Formats: sequence, structure tokens, C-alpha cells
Amino acid sequence: MNARQATARTAPDARGGAIPTHARDNAAGPSAAVPPTIEVRGLSKTYRSKREGTVLALDDISFTVEEGEFVCIVGPSGCGKSTLLKILAGIVAHSVGTVAVRGKPPSDAQNRLGLVFQAPVLLPWRTVLQNTLLPAQVLGLDPKAAEARAHDLLRMVGLEQFASSYPNELSGGMQQRCSITRALLHDPSILLMDEPFGALDAMTRDTMNLELQRIWRESGKTIFLITHSIPEAVFLADRVLVMSARPGRIVEEIKVDLPRPRDLDTMSEPAFAEAVRHIRGLFGIGGKERPHVD
Amino acid sequence: MSTDVKASADTPPPADTLPARAPFSIAGLIDRHLGVLSFIILMLALEFGLRYFRVPDYVLPPPSQIFTALVRGFAPPFLSPSQYYVNIATTLTEALLSFVLGSAFGIFAGAMVVEFKGVRRLALPYVIGLQSVPKVALAPLFVVWFGFGIESKVLLGVLLTFFPLLINTAAGLSSVERDRIELMASLKAKRWTTFRMVKFPSALPYVFAGLEMAAVYSILGAVVGEFVGGNSGLGVLILSRNAALDIAGSLAALVILAVMGIALQRAVAFARGRLLFWAPVHDRLDADS
Repeated sequence: MNARQATARTAPDARGGAIPTHARDNAAGPSAAVPPTIEVRGLSKTYRSKREGTVLALDDISFTVEEGEFVCIVGPSGCGKSTLLKILAGIVAHSVGTVAVRGKPPSDAQNRLGLVFQAPVLLPWRTVLQNTLLPAQVLGLDPKAAEARAHDLLRMVGLEQFASSYPNELSGGMQQRCSITRALLHDPSILLMDEPFGALDAMTRDTMNLELQRIWRESGKTIFLITHSIPEAVFLADRVLVMSARPGRIVEEIKVDLPRPRDLDTMSEPAFAEAVRHIRGLFGIGGKERPHVD
Repeated sequence: MSTDVKASADTPPPADTLPARAPFSIAGLIDRHLGVLSFIILMLALEFGLRYFRVPDYVLPPPSQIFTALVRGFAPPFLSPSQYYVNIATTLTEALLSFVLGSAFGIFAGAMVVEFKGVRRLALPYVIGLQSVPKVALAPLFVVWFGFGIESKVLLGVLLTFFPLLINTAAGLSSVERDRIELMASLKAKRWTTFRMVKFPSALPYVFAGLEMAAVYSILGAVVGEFVGGNSGLGVLILSRNAALDIAGSLAALVILAVMGIALQRAVAFARGRLLFWAPVHDRLDADS
């Protein structure tokens, strides 16, 4: 146990995390300029629906996410945020434009990213440990090393003592933490999160946000997170992309310069309030003209 | 964030808040053993009612005679074709073989139909066509084609158990949560890996509902097959006892069939409890509240 932790700590990591990571491996090559981790250019998505005919879900979306960056996307429900995330995950095909994840199409077998849904999506017949180990089995990783890593991750999120519990024995917050350990197990350099804490109560949600910030700082991952909570986006992100209602367009990109690590007091700082107010203004909430968005 | 509110809230309540054990009462005793008690009362009522009204034995014999017939059937010579042992062995073999083979084919076919569009287009019309045929009506044909041995009975049983498994497996595989499949897609999992690790386990509650039906149908297939033509088995025994107007013997064989059916269903339920400990128990009648 001690030996393993010691070797883990020797891994050179700028943020000094206990979990070893190869997140910066592809940045090490001196030859080429570092491409953005996620690059989306002129992406549109249309789909056919029986009732409405051809529907334009996403319209001419362009943005990049740099390596190690924490980017949040906010938008009203039904604006195509989730579709965008599924396109990045290689689950759904896009219609027009180019999408590159680490320089390759998202469906490329090398792009094994970590995905966290709004629901924990744990397999009920597997224990917490077995659920965490799922990616290792799918990807054929060394079982011994994977198990050691799973225990490290479970310790990191405070689930170590529940390793042999089944999901239905855990609270919603604990289940969601387990789904995060699963997303991190195969050490993906990118974490895609679709309203990961949307189903949790306000207090658990605050705690989970702090937790996620810590995980991000310790692991150096690139995180792309969808939310419909503006304060949550501002609290977590380096950059917030604001999306319009359907068809989804990126209306504005806001850089959040609040110092890290942020804590709950950050939310009462004027700069925080200013950023939140600014984004709300984009949706017309709090203004006089268009009081409804959702 | 190493402790959780729920974890501490989930500790068992202190002992003094547990409900006190109800004091001994006749009403409580009756309530708990209502099933057994009503059975005893029913048997006694039948026994004396049938004797009192002088119902002839060749119409409906009293329970005591059925019991005597049961005891006589289990007495030596053990290997005689008129005793129960050989006949139970035949019917049980037929039923178990149909159950295993029919279920296996049904699960396989259900998976193929869901996983491969081509198979679905090709096979579904036949499946629907065959399913609307009352399968037991095929029993006489099967005896002509496959003879008086156990083959014709097993095939009839396979045909009966195949469909519930096909339908249930297909329904189960089609209703797997989308998120679970997308999770595997995000890992770029191979199709077979997704099927094996996520889709099939998710469909198991449906599969087991099919297996419970198949347990009943497999015995039905065996007995109907034996009625139509056979040398041995409880169905044959029922026919020969009927012909001899030995209704008690006939009903005794029926009791054995009932016990066999219950045993097979219990075995499936036991396996389900072991494998599907994670699935919510939906309104089961035998779930004690």
C-alpha cells in the first residue's frame, strides 16, 4: 500500500496529485505545435423527426478546448448541449463541419474518454469496485494495476469503505462519485460530463463541485462539462460557452478569471456575481423584455 | 467529503424502537397458517361430503382414496410400468430436456432477432405465423414424424418453451437503458463486449420471466405428447387409469404432475433470486409483506 502510493507520488505532475496521469504525454513531443484537445469547426447537426420533419439541432458551432482546461457550456434545456457532448464522445455522428478530439475523429478507437451522465448509470449487478473497474475490462487493461488504481480513486472520492457495496445501497451523491471514478479509471485525458450533478440536492451539489475542482486540479484532465446552472458554470470553469435555444448556437464565450482553488466564498465575490449577471443577461433573465428561457 | 449524510442516516434504528413481538393469540396463529388450515378443512369437507352424498368413486373419489392410490403407486415393484417411478422418470426427462433446449434456442433466437436486422426481417414473419398456431395441435403430427418415444414429446415441449423465451429475451434486450449502451460506446467497446457485459445482464429479468413460463409449458408439452401417443410417462398413466375407471389413480398422477411443476418453478425462482439479487422485486404474490 505505502509502496504503491510512494511510486504514484514520484510521477512528475505539476499539480502534485496522488493519482498518476499521462494527461500531458502528448504535449511532451517537441516536434509539432500542441493542437487543441478538442477542436470544433462549423459543426451543424440535423436530424429527422416524424412530427417536425428535418430539425436543425446545432447550428454552425465552433470552439476549441485547450489541454488541461475546464470548459463549461450553459444553455436552456433542449438547446442541443447533450447532442454536442455525444458528438464529442463519438456516440452520435454530426452532419456538417469538422470535429477533432486530440487530432482524430471522435469515433476513433484511440479516443477512449471518460463520460459522466446526469444519472450515475451504474450497473446494479456490480459492486462499487466492479463498476469502477468496468473500463479496465472493456479495454483489456492489466487487472492488477487497474484494481490498485480503482482503490486509489475510490479513496480519493471517499468511497473506499463502500467498495463492495452495491449501487442500490448508496445515496445519489455516492453513486455519482462512483460514476466519476469509473470515468477516471482508464486515465482518459478528457472528461465529458453531462449535467453530472443535476439530479442532486443543492447541498450535495456544492460539495460535489468542490470535489470535482479538486479532482481536476489533481489529475490535470481536460474537462468539458454541460450544465444549466449558470453559477455552477462560473464556479467551475476557466471558460464558459453560452448556448442559445434551439437551434443551438454559441452566443458568447466568457473567460472566468477567478483565482483557484475556488471555494464557496468565491460565490459571494463581486467578480463572480458580475459574471453570473452577465450570462443571465444573455438569456434575458432578470431583464425586462424576455423573462422566460426554459 | 469522506463521510456521507445518508451513510449515517442508514444505520439501523435502536432496539427499543423495534415493534414488540405480538403476544400469543389463536387469531394470529390462524392468520399465519391460513393456507394449510384451509387445505385441511377443504379435504375434510370433500371426504365427508362425497361419502355423505354417495358420489360414486368412478366420478369423484374422496381424498383418502387418492392418497391410498399415491401410496400404492410408490410401493414395489419399483420398475413396473404401472408404478410411478418409471413414469415420473420419463415425464421428467422429457420436461427437463424441452425446458433446457427450448429455453436455450429461445434466448439465442431472441438475441439474434434484436441484434441483427437481417435476421429480424427474415425470421419474424415465420415466428409470428408459428406463434399464432396452437402448438399442442401439432402433437399428433409430431408423433407421426418422430415416433412414440420421447423425441416427439421433447420437440413439442421445445416448441412450447421456445416462444416465451424468444419474446421475453427480445423485449429485454430492446429495453436496455440507452445510457448504459452509450457508456460502452464512449469506451469504444466491441459489440460483443457490450452485449455480454451490459445488454444481456440488463435483459435477465425479462429472460427469467420467460423461464418461469417455460417451466410450466415444458411439463404441458410432455403430458400432451404422451396423451397423443406414448409408451411411458405420467400422461400415459393417466390415460390407462382413466380407461380402467380408476379415477383415484388418475388424480394421484395429477397430484404428482402438480408437485413436479411447483418444483421446477421453484428451481427457476431460486436461480432468479441468486442471479437477480440486484433487480427490484415487483409485486410478487408470494412476497411476504
